[in-house]
Amino acid sequence: MAEAIYWPTVFFWLFAVIACAFAVAVVLCANIVRMAFYLVLSLAATAALFFLAGADFVGAMQLLIYVGGTLVLLIFGVMLTSQDRFVSMKTSREEMSIAILVGACLLAVLVWAAVSVPDWNGLGRAAAEALPLEPTAAPIGMGLLGARVDAPDRSGYLLIFEIISVHLLVVLLGAAYLARAQQKRSSAVG
Amino acid sequence: MNVLILANLFDRFDLTQPVGVSHYLIVGAVLFVCGALCMATKRNALGILMGIELVLNGANLNFIAFGSPYLRSDANTLGLDGQLMSLFVIVLAAAEAAVALAIALNFYNSFSTIDVDRADQLQG
Amino acid sequence: MNPETALPNLLLAALLLPLLSFAVISIGYSVPQYLGIRTQYATQKYAAYIAIGAIVTGFVLSAYALFAVWLPTHPLEVAAHHAAHNNGPPTYVTGDWYLLGQFGKLTLSIGYYIDTLTVTMFCMVTLIASCIHIYAFGYMHDELHEYTDHEVTLDDGQHLHRRGRFHRFFQYFSLFSFSMLGICVSGNLAMTFVFWELVGICSYFLIGFYIERQSASTAANKAFIVNRIGDFGMLIGLMAIWSTLGTFNFGDMQDAQGNVVSHGIFSQLHDANHHYNLAPTDSMIAFEARDEVAAAVIAAPDNPVAAMNEVARKLRADKAHPWGHWLLFVAGVGIFCGCVGKSAQFPLHTWLPDAMEGPTPVSALVHSATMVAAGVFLVGRVYPIFTPEALLVIATTGCITLFLAATIAITAVDIKRVLAYSTISQLGFMMLALGLGGWLAGLFHLITHAFFKSLLFLCSGSVIHAVHTNDMREMGGLRKKMPITAYTMLIGCLAIAGVGVPFLAGFSGFHSKDLIVEQALSHWNANAAKTGFAWLFFVVPLATAGITAFYMFRLWYMTFAGEPRDHHRYDHAHESPQVMTGPLVVLAVFAVCAGWSFPSWAPGALANFGIANLLEQARPVGTLATTSGVLFPDLTIPSEHIAHAPEMFRTIKVPAGLAAITAALLGILLATVVYLWKSISAESLARTLRPLYTLSWHKWWFDELYDFVFVRPTLAIGALVAVVLDRGLIDGIIHALAAIGKGLAVIVSVVGDRFIIDNGVDKLAAETWNVGLALRAVQTGRLRQYVMFIVVGTVVLFLIASVWRYAVAG
Repeated sequence: MAEAIYWPTVFFWLFAVIACAFAVAVVLCANIVRMAFYLVLSLAATAALFFLAGADFVGAMQLLIYVGGTLVLLIFGVMLTSQDRFVSMKTSREEMSIAILVGACLLAVLVWAAVSVPDWNGLGRAAAEALPLEPTAAPIGMGLLGARVDAPDRSGYLLIFEIISVHLLVVLLGAAYLARAQQKRSSAVG
Repeated sequence: MNVLILANLFDRFDLTQPVGVSHYLIVGAVLFVCGALCMATKRNALGILMGIELVLNGANLNFIAFGSPYLRSDANTLGLDGQLMSLFVIVLAAAEAAVALAIALNFYNSFSTIDVDRADQLQG
Repeated sequence: MNPETALPNLLLAALLLPLLSFAVISIGYSVPQYLGIRTQYATQKYAAYIAIGAIVTGFVLSAYALFAVWLPTHPLEVAAHHAAHNNGPPTYVTGDWYLLGQFGKLTLSIGYYIDTLTVTMFCMVTLIASCIHIYAFGYMHDELHEYTDHEVTLDDGQHLHRRGRFHRFFQYFSLFSFSMLGICVSGNLAMTFVFWELVGICSYFLIGFYIERQSASTAANKAFIVNRIGDFGMLIGLMAIWSTLGTFNFGDMQDAQGNVVSHGIFSQLHDANHHYNLAPTDSMIAFEARDEVAAAVIAAPDNPVAAMNEVARKLRADKAHPWGHWLLFVAGVGIFCGCVGKSAQFPLHTWLPDAMEGPTPVSALVHSATMVAAGVFLVGRVYPIFTPEALLVIATTGCITLFLAATIAITAVDIKRVLAYSTISQLGFMMLALGLGGWLAGLFHLITHAFFKSLLFLCSGSVIHAVHTNDMREMGGLRKKMPITAYTMLIGCLAIAGVGVPFLAGFSGFHSKDLIVEQALSHWNANAAKTGFAWLFFVVPLATAGITAFYMFRLWYMTFAGEPRDHHRYDHAHESPQVMTGPLVVLAVFAVCAGWSFPSWAPGALANFGIANLLEQARPVGTLATTSGVLFPDLTIPSEHIAHAPEMFRTIKVPAGLAAITAALLGILLATVVYLWKSISAESLARTLRPLYTLSWHKWWFDELYDFVFVRPTLAIGALVAVVLDRGLIDGIIHALAAIGKGLAVIVSVVGDRFIIDNGVDKLAAETWNVGLALRAVQTGRLRQYVMFIVVGTVVLFLIASVWRYAVAG
């Protein structure tokens, strides 16, 4: 007889469709604000997908940083660079068609690569259901500090953590400098 | 071989079985392609930025998929490495978005437009 | 003292001393001058001292060789007067000093052949050379300071000023002495030929001493070239001798035990088996009878040499055909050709008058006493190889020469030219004498002529030195100003005229000329019956003797007697310094007494000492008997002793002696009448005999004839070759090649360089630029396009990677 529905798969499909659809919507939309909104939804769906894959910490971070931080920043940018409403920045149809063609090719290649490895077809249901659910926050945190508790024979990520931190600092400084208010419009090139 | 792939293709839509890495990869691919298209076609600088975000997200999905113990046997997964890498990508994406935004603002301040087609001063 | 070893060493030393002097002077003076270092005039005198010292020492050695080595072992005898049999070879010492090389049977060596003639020649040459060296020391003093040559005008009209080259004169003089002594001592014909050429070169140097003068340098060229023409014939003669006799040596070479190892040319041609008469060798007969020899050799192939000898023996007995004589004739005439060139005989006599361009000591030594005498000496040396027919050729040549030169001398006004033509004439006398069978007469005259001719030249040099002109028309009455010169020259004139008391004694020329005339008369006697021309050989020399006396005394009267014709020159004239007059006196003494001989009761080596007796001792083999020609059977060459035989006294000696002295006195009388007493004016005489005068004045137009026949065609051919061949053809080819090269270069430059390379490079550069420009279009600056490229690139990479992996995996 037919087996019972495996609900994670259903949820996967739901969020996958949402993510893809809104991603496509981002491409096709012309309005920047609407694009931002669609992006938010797409990224949120992606976060859900993360949760479904067992990466709860990363999913949370996705929502926090990406959706809550980066995209808000993007919105701010949109606001700061708003232009006359009647200025249209649509791409021409020829460019769009070529782009879609190329994109389709790329998609085909990637899809074909994705399905060509047998190991990636998924675990059996029984095996999947037998797996324990473990939160990942603590191991990730420990890993970032250099101690790998999940796989002791692998290296920690302390150095990368530090670099990333400094990197963020530098980026903030740089971005603050780059986006400073120009005193005189005439010397805007400098 | 093609027949096998086609057969596999229909198996993918089976709701009773857990999904595998390939499903995530396809979603990631879609997101990636959309992001690439965004980057390629949008005239608005912030549109391009959004494309970049999409691309990075697609990549993140891949990482998570490869690192998830629920999608394939434990022996082959990246384990926590995948999630950590994904984390770093997110952080870097945020940083890069900040910088890109700063550049876009600077550009807007210089040219009072956000149309990247106007940024052709480096043409040969 | 053993003559076998002492003589070669003494004569070698005398031979090499002048060469050493030449080397020392060259290294000491010429080499530094060549390197640019100037030698002081004061030190140049030492060159003369070295040269004089060398030649005087050479004379001392020669005299020692003659008196202390040769004569004690070969005492002189008064010549016997019977001519029954032909004489055997004289006593001689021969050997090799240095073997140069061996080519099959032929050995080339530096060797010696010393007999009385050699030693006598050595003494004569070194004595005269010493006198002239000392004389030249005074004569050439002009070269001891800056010399202004008035006969050379430069382009700007100035006369040439140059450094004096005193040392060079003595350098050449020493080399010449060495060369002449080399001819005298030479032991084989090849060595003679080498020294022959060496003498020619020294003559060239010395004639061209004043090389900046056009006349002097052309005269030097003329002398050398005319000599070479004669040498061509000499080479033919040498070839004929070598190819048949197989050797060049004069004498027989002996080994240590005294056995004859190889026969020289004399003993081969005058075999003892043939009573020392001249007979062609078997090889000569075989050469002429090549066909018969070839047939005999084919008939008897196993012993070709015996077959050849058999043929030769058979043919020798064949009286109908003179086998081998033609070759012998050719050999003799060939060698005589060289003597014609060297001794300025007709037709190669034109160089000697021009050779007077050299300084007077050169004329005295080279062109009167020694070099020109070398031709006569060689004829005397190789006398045994001359057949009677060859001797006839020699006599004819001499006869023509002596008459021709004497007639030209009558009208010459240059004092040295008169003496030059006189030299040619006297050489003709010597050749005539030799050709008539008078071997002793010819060589006797050679030696006496050397003394008085060098005396005459030195005196003329003294005169020229005093009045600074050669032209006798500007002289006159000089005997009051230069007595020593005048009276020594008078002695010379008397000697050359042959003045003396008949049948008793006289000046040196008297004795030798008498012998010649006697031999001529004897020859006429012997040939009168059968030939119609023999009287010429007596009458012509006799007449010429008269002419000789005439022009010699003409010279003396014009120069020393009468009133001075140019008072300016007369006033400046002065006697020469003692260094110049001393040799004059010495030579005058010899000019007087060279013909005399010591009596038999004189002590030691001086018993019978006299040139005639010396030469008689050196008489070559087979030259004594009367011979008849073979190719020309009517010709008879009488023995020389017939003329002196007591029974022929009335037939030969009396008429000849009287005729000779009469001719001489007539000549002197005529000269006195015309030039001293001036009873007959010379100008009216010349006008009366205008055709003869013109012929004599223009030297029988020989120079013009040779110029027209030989010189102009040669120069024309040379010009033709130069213009047509050299400039036209060869230069044309070269120019064409150069033009082709240039054309090719232009083509390569235009086509290759400009079209292909330049265009190529330019096009390449342009294309690169265009490509760059084209590629520029890619850089649109449009961000989205770049992203598109990235995406497309990614897709392609993915495809490639997948396909590759697919292909590899699958």
